[in-house]
Amino acid sequence: MNEQFRVAQKVGLMFRSETEIPEDIKGWAVSQLHADSPALGISSKYGKVKSWPQSMQPDLIERARLWRLYRENKKKERERKDGQELASAKQANRQNNLMREKDEMKFAHRNVYGKDQIRMRLMSFWANHFTIGNTFDNESLIGHAMEEAILAKLNSSFSEMLYKVTTHPGMLIYLDNIWSAGEESKHTINCRKKIDCQAGLNDNLGRELLELHTVSPSAGYTENDIRQTAKVLAGWGAYFEMPLAEMKEMAGTTNHWDVYKQRYAEPGNKTVLGKVIGVGKGGLRQLTNHLALHENTVMHLSTKLCQHFVSDNPQKIDIDYIANSWRRSNGDLDQIHSAVIDRAINSKDEKFQWPMNWLFQVLRLSDATFIKGWQDVHNYDNQLMEVKKIFEELGQSFWSTRQPDGYSSQKEEWLSGEMFERRLRFADAIYNAGRPKTSPEKIMDRIGANMTTRNLVESAGGFRRSRFIALMCSPELMGLKSV
Amino acid sequence: MSKYKISRRDFLKYSGASLFLAGVPIPGYTKDKPPGNISVILLEGGMDGLTAVPPIGDPNLIAMRKTITPKDFLKLNSFFGLHPSLPNFSRLMAKNNASVVHATSFPYIKRSHFEGQNLMEGGGLSPFAEKTGWLGRSLDLTQVPGKALSLDMPLILRGYKDNDNFYPASIKNSNALISNLINLISMAHSKDEAEIFSKLSKKSSQASLTPRDPVSLAKYAGKEMSKENGPIASVIRIGQFDTHANQVSDDGYDKNGNHAKRLEIVDDVIAGYREGLGDAWNRSIILTLTEFGRTVAVNGTRGTEHGYGSAGLLAGGTISKSRIIAEWPGLSKKEQFEGRDLMATIDYRSVCAACIERSLGLDHDRIASEVFFTPKLPRVYDYIFS
Repeated sequence: MNEQFRVAQKVGLMFRSETEIPEDIKGWAVSQLHADSPALGISSKYGKVKSWPQSMQPDLIERARLWRLYRENKKKERERKDGQELASAKQANRQNNLMREKDEMKFAHRNVYGKDQIRMRLMSFWANHFTIGNTFDNESLIGHAMEEAILAKLNSSFSEMLYKVTTHPGMLIYLDNIWSAGEESKHTINCRKKIDCQAGLNDNLGRELLELHTVSPSAGYTENDIRQTAKVLAGWGAYFEMPLAEMKEMAGTTNHWDVYKQRYAEPGNKTVLGKVIGVGKGGLRQLTNHLALHENTVMHLSTKLCQHFVSDNPQKIDIDYIANSWRRSNGDLDQIHSAVIDRAINSKDEKFQWPMNWLFQVLRLSDATFIKGWQDVHNYDNQLMEVKKIFEELGQSFWSTRQPDGYSSQKEEWLSGEMFERRLRFADAIYNAGRPKTSPEKIMDRIGANMTTRNLVESAGGFRRSRFIALMCSPELMGLKSV
Repeated sequence: MSKYKISRRDFLKYSGASLFLAGVPIPGYTKDKPPGNISVILLEGGMDGLTAVPPIGDPNLIAMRKTITPKDFLKLNSFFGLHPSLPNFSRLMAKNNASVVHATSFPYIKRSHFEGQNLMEGGGLSPFAEKTGWLGRSLDLTQVPGKALSLDMPLILRGYKDNDNFYPASIKNSNALISNLINLISMAHSKDEAEIFSKLSKKSSQASLTPRDPVSLAKYAGKEMSKENGPIASVIRIGQFDTHANQVSDDGYDKNGNHAKRLEIVDDVIAGYREGLGDAWNRSIILTLTEFGRTVAVNGTRGTEHGYGSAGLLAGGTISKSRIIAEWPGLSKKEQFEGRDLMATIDYRSVCAACIERSLGLDHDRIASEVFFTPKLPRVYDYIFS
């Protein structure tokens, strides 16, 4: 592959046919960190690429209102008898009030049509690092967290992103923090006086904040550190359905992203990994600031970034390079991401591509229309699959129910016959239903395909379908070693 | 907190279980067939042994866990009860076809899901030390070639050279694939990847496997394993045992809690196996695995935190006497592990080893040293199978 496409594969999503290919690839890649980032997509499969309508991208307050409406309607449905009316009411309730399908389509569109390919890859990396699985209310929150807590924070610091993600209602709900109350909090003390009232700490988020999101077990923290972290977190968050008036009374705000319930807070200072954390709402910011620059966080995440963007077998020198930029810049994400780009370009190693990134890259290279338009988000299409179904069949979706450790970037985790068969079948389906506008030959010329790929496509025979499948499942396009 | 109630149907839809079948003997293979078959149910998130099999005879249980202990438990003996969401398992106990191992765990005490799961599947001596799994290594020792059934390849089955997997796709507009084309693609790839594509090209037409909920998967697995040349191992994964909140329901019904709903699936899966296996039940063993148990004390959100000791459920026609196998450590504060968790007094690797010995016919010492790298691993076979 020529240098431009090699880099676009490792840290981006490949150049669409209408895009001019930059001469200075490294300069381009770094400038991409600040690229304009509107949500681009198509309204119908015949439509032109344009910005997503604002009305389909509601803010948190509107999402909460829709969610409450959805739950109320569901309750009413349960009370009514079965029948035709019920089925259509059910469907309307889902379509009007749930955000998942819209958000999932928007995510796919952005990745296929966006001009901010490196930002999209970074959003996916961090969204996976800070996994929010689809449980309970989260269906309507995952997409919001990805856009607002991650994408919108890509040019800030890791500590800022960490704080915004940790306090996002999606995360606080997913890892059970919303009910957690300090053992000496007003709420718990009051509760102890009553019969059958239970209150106290829940350490789920505290544990994963240390283990997965920041320092990792290599830091040698103790159960006490986990408890202390949970105490800092106690009081944060509310369930998404909470009426705004109640939230206002409990936390003095109607902003779901800033809910700190004083009554649930643990009094007194806390100590996490030797660092004293002050009392009150500001404690969490002190903690995330401390964790964001902790040496174990720096090494843990520099390694993880390398595994995702640089090489299947990252070298210590590459990890150290990223770690040094982290330390030097106090965790400035532009500096860290620039260092990642530098190492990804410098390393000639292949980097295996996740199923979803491969899919986006195939669609961009071939100019195929495989994702429906937003007007048709709830409409059946006899050619194109539902977006939700596409990700399910690929075996990778940010909207699935899954464990908080997210998807592995390690090649070994994705090596299975069935996973590979999905690539063949999707390549086939994209050819058949997506009507690619760019031919395999043209694609090979643009990307400067290697001899293995060219020979493979040549040997696949005269049918364009076979040539297309062969090209997209070649080791070169999957980010694997060619023979 | 009742806001979080989800219906059983909703739960099944979201539960995301997956099935793996392994060890399909190749026709014409002359080696002796292993004496039985083995099925593993992976319970991810940390199953609460004190909820599944509450030690009702221990006075500290109610003292520590009044709000989350089932009231309508089924009685196993004067000391142990069984959660009411496990009625099928209870019937198998009554028929002497099921046993419980209690106060047990893999030797892992640090309470991380991901390290713990890596150990329960890898069976190594420290987290992330092994790239292969204990069942994969066992199958490799029996030298029966075969295949697995899944979308990904779970760690527990890796390490088995002839492993292959199978999980029918449902992708619109994808037609039959030409094996010649896949062969060509395989030839362009290197090493492992080439091998995977090459196996794909040999696949015959694909039967559809729907629905994919865990109970249907268990029935399907049982049926496949009951066939003359069927697989000899299967793995089913059930997630979301990590009930830090609302482990029990506030409506007072034992079966409505979050943990109870997961146990109900385990129970249905075991019943699904029973049905699917048919006569092959008599040479089968099914066992559950979980990465750790949960704290003895209830946390502030009607749930429990990550702990240590838990319980294992065993079922199958190879069991001829139902038992509760435990060296009960007690639940008082000083008897708890680190003052918070149920102590584990039985190394669950020994239980796995016994099940391998029974189903695959391997010698215990060989399993101990070559599968679990622990030559002195105690043998508990007689407690389970005599």
